[in-house]
Amino acid sequence: MTVLLQSLISGILIGGVYALIGIGLTIIFGVMRVINFAHGDILMLGMYLTYNLFTKLGIDPYVSVLICIPVMFIYGGLLQKIFINRMLGALPQNQILLTIGLGLIMSNTMMLIYTSDYKILTTSYSSSSVNVAGISVSEPLAISFLITAAITTALYWFLMKTDTGQAIRATAQDREAAQLMGINVKWMSILAFGMGSALAATAGALISPTYYIFPQVGSTFTLKAFVITVLGGMGSIVGATLGGIIIGVAESVGAVYISSGWKDVIVFVLFILVLLFKPAGLMGKSRM
Amino acid sequence: MRTLLKKLSDNRGISPVTICLWIVVLAGLAVFPKFVDSPYALHIMILLFLSTIMGESWNILGGYTGQYSVGHAAYFGVGAYTTMMLMQYKQIPPWYGMWVGAAVVVVVALVIGSICFRLRGPYFVLASIAVAEILRLVAMNLKDFTNGAEGILATEIPPFKIGETVVTDFLSKVPFYYIGLVFAVVTIIVTVLVQHSKLGYYFQAIREDQDAAHSLGINLAFHKNVALLFSAVLTSMAGSFYAIYIGFIDPPTVLALDISVQIVLICIIGGIGTIYGPVVGSLVLVPLSEALRSNLIAQGIFKLGLASEESAVGIFLKEHLAHAHALIYGILVVVVILFMPDGVLGFVKKLFTARKRENA
Amino acid sequence: MGAILEIKHVSKFFGGLAANSDVSFDMTEGMIMGLIGPNGAGKTTLFNCITGYYPPSRGEVLFKGMKMNGLEPNKVCKLGMARTWQKVRPLAKMSVLDNVMVGALCRTNSLKVARDIAMEQLKVVRMDKKADFLAGGLPIGERKKLEVARVLATKPVLLLLDEVMGGLNPAESEEIIQLILEIKKAGVTQMVIEHDMKAIMRISDRIVVLNSGEKLAEGNPQEIVTNQAVIDAYLGSEH
Repeated sequence: MTVLLQSLISGILIGGVYALIGIGLTIIFGVMRVINFAHGDILMLGMYLTYNLFTKLGIDPYVSVLICIPVMFIYGGLLQKIFINRMLGALPQNQILLTIGLGLIMSNTMMLIYTSDYKILTTSYSSSSVNVAGISVSEPLAISFLITAAITTALYWFLMKTDTGQAIRATAQDREAAQLMGINVKWMSILAFGMGSALAATAGALISPTYYIFPQVGSTFTLKAFVITVLGGMGSIVGATLGGIIIGVAESVGAVYISSGWKDVIVFVLFILVLLFKPAGLMGKSRM
Repeated sequence: MRTLLKKLSDNRGISPVTICLWIVVLAGLAVFPKFVDSPYALHIMILLFLSTIMGESWNILGGYTGQYSVGHAAYFGVGAYTTMMLMQYKQIPPWYGMWVGAAVVVVVALVIGSICFRLRGPYFVLASIAVAEILRLVAMNLKDFTNGAEGILATEIPPFKIGETVVTDFLSKVPFYYIGLVFAVVTIIVTVLVQHSKLGYYFQAIREDQDAAHSLGINLAFHKNVALLFSAVLTSMAGSFYAIYIGFIDPPTVLALDISVQIVLICIIGGIGTIYGPVVGSLVLVPLSEALRSNLIAQGIFKLGLASEESAVGIFLKEHLAHAHALIYGILVVVVILFMPDGVLGFVKKLFTARKRENA
Repeated sequence: MGAILEIKHVSKFFGGLAANSDVSFDMTEGMIMGLIGPNGAGKTTLFNCITGYYPPSRGEVLFKGMKMNGLEPNKVCKLGMARTWQKVRPLAKMSVLDNVMVGALCRTNSLKVARDIAMEQLKVVRMDKKADFLAGGLPIGERKKLEVARVLATKPVLLLLDEVMGGLNPAESEEIIQLILEIKKAGVTQMVIEHDMKAIMRISDRIVVLNSGEKLAEGNPQEIVTNQAVIDAYLGSEH
C-alpha cells in the first residue's frame, strides 16, 4: 500500500513537469496548428543552459528558471519568426519535417560542443528526500512540482485575464476570424512559440538535477509530449495538464509493478489506444 | 530490339532514351567491381544501393500515396531481426531467412496499417512513430528473444549455394555489391511498374485528395494497405540486407526513430513522389555523411588552407566533424524544406524550365 | 416506370442539430431533379447522405431498389451513382488527363482503355486540348468542367452535381447548362444543386425545395415559382 501510494505521489510530482512540456506543445499547436518535433530538443537546450549556469556561475537550477524563461522565450520567438512562419500554410508533413530538421540541428550542435557524454548536475539536494506521514518524497521532485504549479497558475491567469492572453486564445480558436478582428496573428504566433519554448526549457531546467543530461535526451521528451497532448486533446491546456499527470502516474506505477523497461511501452500503447478510441483526447473537440 | 523498346515506351510512358540511359548506367555498375577493387569504394556503393532501396520503398507509401510514415524503422528492423535471428539461432541461411522476414513484415504491416490508416495527416505520422517505438522497446526488453540492448552479432555467413555449387562465400564485398545492385534495380523497377499501373493512379489520387478519390470508386483502406505492403516488404529486404552486410544489429541501429527519419530524408532531399528522387537523395546523403565520418572534409579544409591542422579550429574540426553528419542532415532538411520543397530534383527541374522560358 | 432513387424520410443530426429532417422524394430515370434552398438548407448534407459520406441518422436511401444506407462512397460509385463537390477537388499534382483517367479506372483495369474513355470525356467538356496541363493550375471554370468530366468517366447512371455553376461567368454557366442537357440526352439521371434560379428553372424537370433541413415543396418549375410557401421562405428573401 505504501509502495503504491509512494509511486502515485512521485508520479503526480513528475507529472507536473510533464504537464509543463505538454502545455508548451499544445499552445504551439493550438495557435499555429504546427506539431513541433523539436520540442524535446528545446527542453534539452534548457537542460544544458541550466547545467552551464550551475557549473560555471554556481546558479542553483531552480533559480536558473528565471533566466531560462526569458532566454528561451526569445529563442523560440526567433525560431518561429525565421523558420516556422514561412511554413504556416504548407503541408503538415513538411512542417513536421522542418521541425525535425531544426531538432537535429539543435541536438547535434550540442553534441559538437559537449560531446555525447552524459552529464550529471549534482546539487546538495539531488538525492535527498523528505518524509511526509511515512512516505518519502524526493526533494527535487517536490520543489519542481511547486514551481510547476506556480508557473501553470500564472499561465492560466495570463491566458484568461489579460488582453494578450485572450488574443492568443482567440487566434487558437479561429485564426482567420481573429485576424479579421484586428488581432496581430503573426505576433501571437511568435508569442505562442516563445511561450511553448520557454515552458519546455523550464521543464528541462527543473528535471536537470534528477536526469542525465545529453544531447539526444530530447527525442524521448518529444514523444512524451505528443502522448501527453494527444491524451489531453490537442490544443487544450487543461487537457495537457491532465495528460501530463496521467502519464507521470502511469510511468511511475508501471515502473514499480511491471518493470522500468516496459513502462515506456505502456505509455505508447496508451497513446495508440487514445488515438484510436478517443481521437479528440480527453478534453478536446473533434479534429477530423 | 527497337520494337521491344517501342513497346515498352508505349505501354509504360517511358521514353526510349531513358531506357537506353538506364542500360548504359546498369552496364557501368555491373562492371564497376572489375575495375575498382578498393573495398572502401565498394562499401560506399553498397551504402548507396541500400539507401536507394530504403528511399524507393518509402516513396511508394509516402511519396505516391501521401501517407507520411515516420515509422519505417519498424519494417526495416523486423526484417533485419528475423533474418539475423534465423541465421544465428536456427542456422537458416539469410537468402531464405529474408523471405521469412518479409512474411513477418507483411503481418506486422497489416497490424500497423489497421491502426494507423484510421488516422489522417499529423495524427497518422504520430501513430506511425508510436508503433515503431513500441517495436523498438519490445526488442530492447525481450532479452531472451532478441538479446536486448546487446544486439546480435553475425558469427559466420554460410556460403550461398545453388544445388552443390557454391555461388559465393561472402568473403569480400563484391557479392554484397551485386546483391545490393540487384535489389536496388528490382525496387526501382517495382516502383516504375506500380507508378504506371492502375495502382499508381489510385495511390496518387489518394495522396492528392482522399475524399475525391473515395467518391471516384477508390477503396481507401484497401489501397493504402496495398501501398503499405509494397513499401514494407521492400523495406524489410533492405533491413535483411543491412543486417547481413554489417553483421551486427541492435535496436538503436535498426529500429530507432533515427532510421525512420533518415528514410524520409532520402526522399525529401531528392524529391518526393518521383522515381529518381530517392536515387538523387542517396547520391547527396551517402557520400556526404561518409565524407564527414571519415574526416575527408576536414582533410579537404586543411588542404585548401582554409584552416591549419594545428590551430584551435583545426583541432576542433578534426575531432568533431566526424560526428557532424547528423547536423548536416538537419541543415539539409531545413534548407530543402524551405527553399526546395520539391527536393533537389524538383529544384533542378524548375531551374531548367525557367531557363528554357528565358531562351524561348 | 420505377424510381431510380427513392429518398425515404431521411434525417441527419449533428449533435442536436438537424441538418436534414424527414426528407422524402423519388427520382425517375432520365430526369433532372433540381435541388434548391437557401444557404444552410441541408442540400449538401443530403448529397452526403445519399452518396455514403455519412449514413443518414434516420430513414433510408434506395438506389435502383437497393438500400444504400451505410454503403461506402467507393461502392456507391461502383453501383453507378456519382457526385461532384461544391468546392472542387482536383487532384492538383496530376494532369487533367490523369484526373479523368482515375475516374475511368472505376470501370476498367486497363490504362489504355481508361485513357481512351478519359479523352472522350475531355472532348465532351471541350477540354481535350488541355489534357497535359496540371489540374492544380486550371482556372475555376475549367476546374468545374474537369470535375464533371472526371465523374462522367465513372459511367454513372445517376449523377449528383453540387453547384457546378458556382463562381462561373454567364458564358461558362451557359456552357455547363448545355453540358447538363447533353448528359441528359445520353440517358443519365441527374440531381442538380444550384443557386442560379434561371438556370435551374430551365434545366429541371422537377424541383425539390429544402428549407432548414426540411422539404418545403416539390413540383415542376412552374409549380415551384408559383408556390406561396417557397416565395415566402426563399424566393421572397431574394426578390
